[in-house]
Amino acid sequence: MKLLKNCLFAGLTALALLGAAKVTTAQETDQVGRAPYLESLKGKKVIFVPISQGMDLNQSWVVVWQRHAARYGFSLEVRDPNGDTNAGIRAMQGAIAEKPDLIIVQNPDVQTYARLLKQAQSAGIKVLQVNMQSATQTDSYVGNDWIEMGRLEMGELAKHCTGPNAVSHKVVWLAGVQTGAANIYMRTGIDEVLKANPELQLVSDQPADYMSEKARQITETVLQQHPDLCGIMGIWDNAEVGAGAAVAAAGKQDQVTIVTNGAGSATGCESIKNGLLDVIFNFNAPIQAEIAAQQISELLQHPERQAGSEKTIFFGPITRVDKTNAVGRNCWKLDDLK
Amino acid sequence: MELAGSGKSDGGRIGLKLSQELVVVAISVILFVVFSATLNNFLSRGNIIAILKNVSILGTLAVGMGFIVVGRGIDLTMVAVMVVGVAFSIWISTWGVDFTLAVICGAILAASIGLFTGIMVAVAEIPPIFATLAIASSVYGSGRIVFASDVLYAPPNIAWLKFVGSGTILGIPMSVVIFAAVAALMGFFLRKTRFGRLVYATGDNPNAARTTGLPTRPIIVTQYVISALIAFTAGIIMTGLVTGIDTRLYNSSLIYDVLLVVVLGGIGLSGGQGGVRNIIVGTILVGILTNGMTILNFSYTSQNLIKSVILLCALAIDAIINPRDEQTSQSGDI
Repeated sequence: MKLLKNCLFAGLTALALLGAAKVTTAQETDQVGRAPYLESLKGKKVIFVPISQGMDLNQSWVVVWQRHAARYGFSLEVRDPNGDTNAGIRAMQGAIAEKPDLIIVQNPDVQTYARLLKQAQSAGIKVLQVNMQSATQTDSYVGNDWIEMGRLEMGELAKHCTGPNAVSHKVVWLAGVQTGAANIYMRTGIDEVLKANPELQLVSDQPADYMSEKARQITETVLQQHPDLCGIMGIWDNAEVGAGAAVAAAGKQDQVTIVTNGAGSATGCESIKNGLLDVIFNFNAPIQAEIAAQQISELLQHPERQAGSEKTIFFGPITRVDKTNAVGRNCWKLDDLK
Repeated sequence: MELAGSGKSDGGRIGLKLSQELVVVAISVILFVVFSATLNNFLSRGNIIAILKNVSILGTLAVGMGFIVVGRGIDLTMVAVMVVGVAFSIWISTWGVDFTLAVICGAILAASIGLFTGIMVAVAEIPPIFATLAIASSVYGSGRIVFASDVLYAPPNIAWLKFVGSGTILGIPMSVVIFAAVAALMGFFLRKTRFGRLVYATGDNPNAARTTGLPTRPIIVTQYVISALIAFTAGIIMTGLVTGIDTRLYNSSLIYDVLLVVVLGGIGLSGGQGGVRNIIVGTILVGILTNGMTILNFSYTSQNLIKSVILLCALAIDAIINPRDEQTSQSGDI
């Protein structure tokens, strides 16, 4: 009888231990914080108002965010104004009226959405700005350090055009849209380099408005005025191919250095390979998109924090790409990101 | 019978008409002299060629627009047809279709759009300004959905495309040669063919033309098809020059620049008058002006402002020189 009691006791103890072990195992395999993370993102609504979805950087951002949204169960809607500022204002007004959990916005310039962004924050909507800032600072900005970009590009020209073997000290700045944040801040960086290198001569600073044909026309005209031009810097690789075409048509590819920046897509690398561009400072849009995705997660995880109560800035990495490294991750294709 | 396009039409209006063209020529000469005296290298051979090269696309488009305006129409679809037609060619070439064949397909698409526009204007009788505005938007919108990207690059190493972009004939860039050829063909077509004369007659008074038995509808439809093909040609020149096509040009002021050239050159919006010479005069003025403003470092916005003011003045001069009379009011306007 005693033996039976002992066996029963031993069996029950074993069962209890097994059960406890099971419970412990179950607790250990549930990654700490994962459940509340999933819970905080699930069913949330994010609206993105870009400048235009026809641009390489926008497409890569959205591919990355859509992957993130599908994995963690929040919705991402893109309201594309297709480069039309008025349509952008309407898209922003519509987005604010819908009261999503987060608005992501790429500003066409520093002023247009400034008041709307304030309205969104007052309405309790968190706002993440990407790559192009507004005069209004919001919860977060993820994108380029444009002043640094100006320094890097003009610094590159300073290297080429101030040495003893430089053909001249003449450089050109082919701006984009002059009221855009990128232009305004890049100009600050450019001016710093020009101040540090007084021998550099900025012989033209025409805006090409991100248009390759306009960039070509300006370059063609400037080359007539300054046949000894040393360098050209621009703001988007897809536009500066026009400058490259004008330089190539004048047979001055060895003389004129063309520096620009871009999202890092394969077309930019092709332009380097076929000699239309020399250096692209690549801000790698897919990496920017990943940083922004983390910001989306953070902003959605803390609904208790009031919109606009914290202001964060993340500058993405910038890689100098020339013909020695125009390969691999420096030259993404949209299909690679999907 | 000499028509208005030759500048030798009915006596009472000769002086005024010549004056408008002469005013534009005079402004061009004054600007040319002032820029030559004040700007370095403006008068160099290279810069003169640069001016011509830079207006070749604008001028080519203006030839198409001028052709339509002579027939009392307006074609706001030109830039949309240009970018979408060429983008379509590049897009299908990425499937492995030979680029030359793809360009032919693009031309067929452009012609089909022109045909549709022509039918809307001539048969459905939608006023051209509204019909073409709506069609331009639809064409660009459809293209934007299909191509996804704004900028499309032509395949590399297409010999004839490279020749269009950087080749020369007797030292003259191919883009300028193409513009000159399109202008010469149009000049011949308008002045020397029966069809050209019918275009003037239709533009002068569509109702009278129809009453007298002229086939006004087929004439209008053909005009829009030709204009679309000219727009496509301009797109091919652009692709040759910058290795690709930027469809966002649709959102730029290019279509207004084209209108500026046409109206500035002296082709009245009330139709039935003017010719290729007016277009060349307008193109040269805009070319000199743009070149000078670029050298003087005027911003893009100020350049557009100056061009818009000049367009407004040209429209005002047009209204004075070609006043709306009872006949034109009754027969309608664009």
